[in-house]
Amino acid sequence: MAATSKSTVLLKAVKKITIQFCPFESNVRSTREFLALVGSAKARSTNMNCEVISVVKHDKSEPVIDITYVDGERLVMKGERLTCREMLSAFQSRCKDKDPQSKK
Amino acid sequence: MTYFLLKMSATLCLKLQRNQGWLPLIQSVRHGSKAVTRHKKPLHFLKQKLIAVTRYIPPARTIPPGVYTSEKKHVQEDNEFILLLKKKLEEVFEECKMIGVVQTNPCGVDDMLMLRHRLGKHDIKIKFFPNQVMLSFLSNSVYSNMAPLFIGPTVLFVSKEPKVKEMLSALRVSPQMTLLGACIDNTLLSAQGVVRYSKLPSLTVVQGELVSGLTMLTSRTAFMLQHHPAHLSALLQQYIKQQSPDGGAEATPKGEEAS
Repeated sequence: MAATSKSTVLLKAVKKITIQFCPFESNVRSTREFLALVGSAKARSTNMNCEVISVVKHDKSEPVIDITYVDGERLVMKGERLTCREMLSAFQSRCKDKDPQSKK
Repeated sequence: MTYFLLKMSATLCLKLQRNQGWLPLIQSVRHGSKAVTRHKKPLHFLKQKLIAVTRYIPPARTIPPGVYTSEKKHVQEDNEFILLLKKKLEEVFEECKMIGVVQTNPCGVDDMLMLRHRLGKHDIKIKFFPNQVMLSFLSNSVYSNMAPLFIGPTVLFVSKEPKVKEMLSALRVSPQMTLLGACIDNTLLSAQGVVRYSKLPSLTVVQGELVSGLTMLTSRTAFMLQHHPAHLSALLQQYIKQQSPDGGAEATPKGEEAS
């Protein structure tokens, strides 16, 4: 459903991604799609050390995506009112900023 | 009509006469058009002006078009394939006591095979149904509260026996599967509910505990009621024992003294 601007999700600069959501809520679609994109085999293959952890809760809390980069920076995205594309673009732009030296 | 007949006859005659080297009787001549007619001939400027001035402008609609027509409800008749899938779903829901809903991120074939093997040992099957079919089936059935779970790539883990511990252990090993919820014994459980269910002791143990807890109170009351008469009867027996073998009891110590 969410078309990505880049077909691959690069996780090289990422240490850990924690996605927590409550599946019985109605505002979870974008978070789940983000999880599907980030947790796919392709994305995992870009960095085998990166952990993708999903926590399923049932307390009507809002969905939160917590990304910890290799250099210690954290990106916290509250996915209640964001679309998957916005979250993905924010994430990828930061990855690109951190990652140009390994690409070039 | 006659012209047509003439023309027909002319063409027929043409066929006959062409053979003899005669010139054709009727030659159609293009009038008013140049040789090349592939592109549109540019209109004369005056004609262009006239057309622009006299162009048809439809009257502005005051009423939006969809207002007075009765809106036909978008009822799509299901394909036979969809009906088949729904039948299968029904069977699954009737047969299986445990139905787990798991979000699967697209993973490799090997991981999938390993997971299937691991679960197959405990008779847990992995089934996939398209979300649309699933949602339409659920909305018609009792299980409509499961509907919000089915967004994105989802897969069902079904089994006839509620083997929750094995399912959880298999899921823990594979990182790309996330348990969203489960329907066990017609009760909808969340992920934490499933974990708690797995920690429950077996049914016989629970029944035994329940029975013992209930009978504890009644046994205590029975004991308290019977306590006094039981004590009294014990005392009386003791007294009788002391009374009746009193002669015997006196005799035996004398016999012991004598011996």
